Amino acid sequence: MRALGKILAVHSYKGGTGKTLLSINLSAALAKRGRRVALFDLDFRAPSLSTLLQVDKVDHWLNDYLNGICDIDKVLVNFSGRVGNNGKLFVGMANPSVEAIRDMSSKDRKWEMRALGRLLALRSALLNDGGYDYLVFDTSPGLQYSSINAIVAADVVIVATTCDRSDVEGTKRMLGELYDLFDKKTEVVMNKVLQDVSGKLGKNGFQSDINQVPLLALIPCYCDVSRAAGTTVFVEEKPDHPFTKILNDMVDKLDKI
Amino acid sequence: MYTCSSHWGTKVSSQESLGKKPLHVLEKIRENLEKLNEKMEIMIELQKHGRRDLQPVPDAPLDVMTLLSMPDHLRKTAMVLCRMGRATADEIAQQTQRARAVESAYLNQLVIMGYLKKERKGRKAYFYLDKENQG
Repeated sequence: MRALGKILAVHSYKGGTGKTLLSINLSAALAKRGRRVALFDLDFRAPSLSTLLQVDKVDHWLNDYLNGICDIDKVLVNFSGRVGNNGKLFVGMANPSVEAIRDMSSKDRKWEMRALGRLLALRSALLNDGGYDYLVFDTSPGLQYSSINAIVAADVVIVATTCDRSDVEGTKRMLGELYDLFDKKTEVVMNKVLQDVSGKLGKNGFQSDINQVPLLALIPCYCDVSRAAGTTVFVEEKPDHPFTKILNDMVDKLDKI
Repeated sequence: MYTCSSHWGTKVSSQESLGKKPLHVLEKIRENLEKLNEKMEIMIELQKHGRRDLQPVPDAPLDVMTLLSMPDHLRKTAMVLCRMGRATADEIAQQTQRARAVESAYLNQLVIMGYLKKERKGRKAYFYLDKENQG
């Protein structure tokens, strides 16, 4: 019997920590290993997957699914061609139009509750019945309704943080006052670490800083990654890049959770 | 044959009533005892946690911000019900690894607070999120 899959939510306290980059590359790395993966853009205030994956038009956005207009299979776009090794990668995109962003920002509590129900329903529709192994939620930073809905629906929360003091402190608060309250398995990724800092402190130096939560990965600040402006799927296009190696190590660990 | 007098003043043959529908009568007694038990569980919980946490909010959606602001013991129960959609106290207890009676009390508190609805089907009580809210 196939082991039931997992839902991963990639979250952060502040914006610009690399959530989307991590989400895309994690999804692609999982797909390359033969996993069937669905990646969702739950950052409805600043959608980015459609731009980064260069999709102009889709039949249905993830917004439509959460609004109860369509089923989830109408939302998922097949990107398996973008990953080698016969990987299966599907993406559900958020509508980037200003009107859609405004609409999603003005939802009331009852709508958010129904949206949580619809996110929870993905487990049965995709993991149990659809043959998917992983669902990856790319979320909005901070305490937004859509992000907390994603966290509640997920099995594992991957929190991305930079070395910025306010980011680290905010991440610590969220570990104690958000993820713990929902009993979520949480993994921390420290991203954009300056090379000299990462060399000096190493992993253990940061471990005690993040409330004793072990780091899933420490990712140095790579100029190549910044230069690619988010449009390169590193794990596919640059298999020998150190960033790809770190992502593959992360996938090893996530697979064992 | 002897007869007994009921509180309502009508004379009923005990043997006759028990003979005709003994199972039905016993079921009714059991059902009433369970209802009584539930009420006692709620009263015990009210004493433990005080009434402050149990202010009913009319038409309250069980959204994530509400979940965040709930006391820990209720959040655990509410989150499992969110995942399951509809469940008995027994089913929730299997997930939370707490006693059925404890879950029954917490679920009833959530009903009083207006977050859940309760429906009886025979001897089983089902708890669910408000259909209108759930959509």
